[in-house]
Amino acid sequence: MGDGTPFWTVIALPVALAAFAYGAAAFDAVLRAAAAGRHELAQAAAEPLRETARLLVQQRRTTPAPDRLLVRVGVISLPVAALLAGVVVPLGDRAVVDMPVGVVWFNAMEVIAWGSLWLTGWGVNSAYALVGGYRFVAQGLAYELPHMFALITAAVGAGSLDLSKVAAAQHGLWFAVWMPVAFAIYLISALAMAFWGPLGHPLGRDLAGGVAVELSGPDRLIFFAGRYGLVAVAAAAAVPLFLGGGAGPVLPAWAWSPVKTCVVLAALVWAGRRLPVLRMDRFMEFAWVALIPAALLQALVVAIVVVN
Amino acid sequence: MGVTERLAGFAAGRPRAFVVAAPGGTAARVAVEAVLRRRAWRQPDGPVAADLLVVCGAPGTDLAEAIDVVWDDMPAPRARTMISGTPTPDEAAAALDEATDGRHGGHGGGHEGGHGHETSAPAEPDMADRAADRDGLTLDVLHVRLGPVLADWPAGLRVATSIQGDVIQSAEAAVLGGASARPFWDAPWLAAAAGEPVTRGAAERSRAAAHLDSLGRLLSVAGWADAARRAERLRDEALAGRAAGALVPAFSAFARRVGRSRSLRWMTSGLGVIDERAVRRYDLAGPAARHPGDVAARLTGWLTEAEHALARVDDADPLAGGEGPRGPAREAPSAGLLAVLPELLEGSELAAARLIVASLDPDADQLSRSAAAGEEAADG
Repeated sequence: MGDGTPFWTVIALPVALAAFAYGAAAFDAVLRAAAAGRHELAQAAAEPLRETARLLVQQRRTTPAPDRLLVRVGVISLPVAALLAGVVVPLGDRAVVDMPVGVVWFNAMEVIAWGSLWLTGWGVNSAYALVGGYRFVAQGLAYELPHMFALITAAVGAGSLDLSKVAAAQHGLWFAVWMPVAFAIYLISALAMAFWGPLGHPLGRDLAGGVAVELSGPDRLIFFAGRYGLVAVAAAAAVPLFLGGGAGPVLPAWAWSPVKTCVVLAALVWAGRRLPVLRMDRFMEFAWVALIPAALLQALVVAIVVVN
Repeated sequence: MGVTERLAGFAAGRPRAFVVAAPGGTAARVAVEAVLRRRAWRQPDGPVAADLLVVCGAPGTDLAEAIDVVWDDMPAPRARTMISGTPTPDEAAAALDEATDGRHGGHGGGHEGGHGHETSAPAEPDMADRAADRDGLTLDVLHVRLGPVLADWPAGLRVATSIQGDVIQSAEAAVLGGASARPFWDAPWLAAAAGEPVTRGAAERSRAAAHLDSLGRLLSVAGWADAARRAERLRDEALAGRAAGALVPAFSAFARRVGRSRSLRWMTSGLGVIDERAVRRYDLAGPAARHPGDVAARLTGWLTEAEHALARVDDADPLAGGEGPRGPAREAPSAGLLAVLPELLEGSELAAARLIVASLDPDADQLSRSAAAGEEAADG
């Protein structure tokens, strides 16, 4: 933690992350209710609260011969990954830790989710959960490279791996505008990283819930809180990476960041309900044949412009 | 009142209901699903995520045993109820309320205290065998039974598979018995054949609702929950007797969105291909025979046939002909759909297998009589 970082940011980060995660869950519940023909705002927005209460008093289910340690580590590491990734994301102009290699740190922390899903899927000793784990490993192979190239493109554009500097480098022209391919790939890979919506096959309904099939009570609560945390932190990181950080008219930086985060988060949640789930046996080909070359071309164009 | 009770009471406002249908329980399932949707009670992906188990219809011995195993898996606080026959929406709602009230009393209804609930299943499952897979690699073989208790799955269907990774190496399909009621979706045609007066409109209503029911479950398995809910809504509206003038435009909007979805076609094309040879060999009838091809073709087939049926729901002419939603209503065409399954499933991945089963959607109501007879023969 640098000298310039006041202590309150350490408190503010988990609070902000929890608020965004709750907002994502509530918005998702509103959309779900609307699809079922009920246009109710208050009831649906309280749904995540209700679910939390339900899971808090629910018994913890134990499968025959599970590897308890692996499951606990897998479940708990999911919100921890979201929180650690959030440490370097500036809210306004201030991150909890101003790290010179923030982009790399953010990416490294996201990858913890691979371990989380695999450990949980393997550890509960259930065929469906295991298949869900396989699916996420395959998904990781499909999305991680395009995701890294998208992050690197933004870093190249700014000439820095520090997220605050990346945000500051976008004076007047957001990276989302002049590197749209990288931005689009970032959003797709954000969905994949948080196994959300069309990229939620590891938790597929066809597997009765996949990795999460045997989770109940507090385990389930922590796991899904972590997943919403991942969606939230992915949306929050899009702001300094591609949307100019806290820059904007009238409002101060500390207000613009959350506003932009909310917009990205809402878009991700909304997009998550618009499409059927994408299977990796088909998506993998698209990722390697289309997404990776597109990401590389985008990186090349940005690099040439920056060098000139 | 302690904190735990308060939390439980708050959460109880919207329980998660896992619905299991037995063969012959379609009428009850449709009634229950309509109530759940109206109340915005979610249907979870699996029983562990549920706190209410709703059994629709009267399961036979084998299915009842499978349901008991699932019930043992459900974490407390939990409740279960059984709804059979042809309940009205009010009756279905009352049965659900009764079950949940029992739970929140906190004393009866299966509210078991304590933590670390251990299931009574054998502590150590069999070790996996090994065998060469389709690519010649030696991989673990797991014996996994799909169903009979699975979300968006045909009633009572059990597919015994051996899988390697998530690829099915072999599959055997069977339907566990239930009550031998008159098949819900075929009712108008069977009634007409028995000499009762039935209008063509009533029959087309049943056909459209049956296809929308199948579509809803296929879309749900395809991971598109919102589209699935729309299909269910349309199904319930068709069954509730809305006029064609209101149904057709709503359906067209739905069909456009689903029919034009590129990602849905991308994910369903090339799976479970039924060619003319298979149609003849398994004596297939109905939409599966009229729209040969892959899962995507069958999905489009349902959309087309449902649209035609919806346009005619107000037809007051007497019903002629016996072509029900899945083929000739009196000949149990679902037997062919069941017979073709193993061939289609072998070599496919688990996800594809679920889509293939959902795209055929054999109607267990049609099979329950013969299955019940078969069980008795096996027992005796």
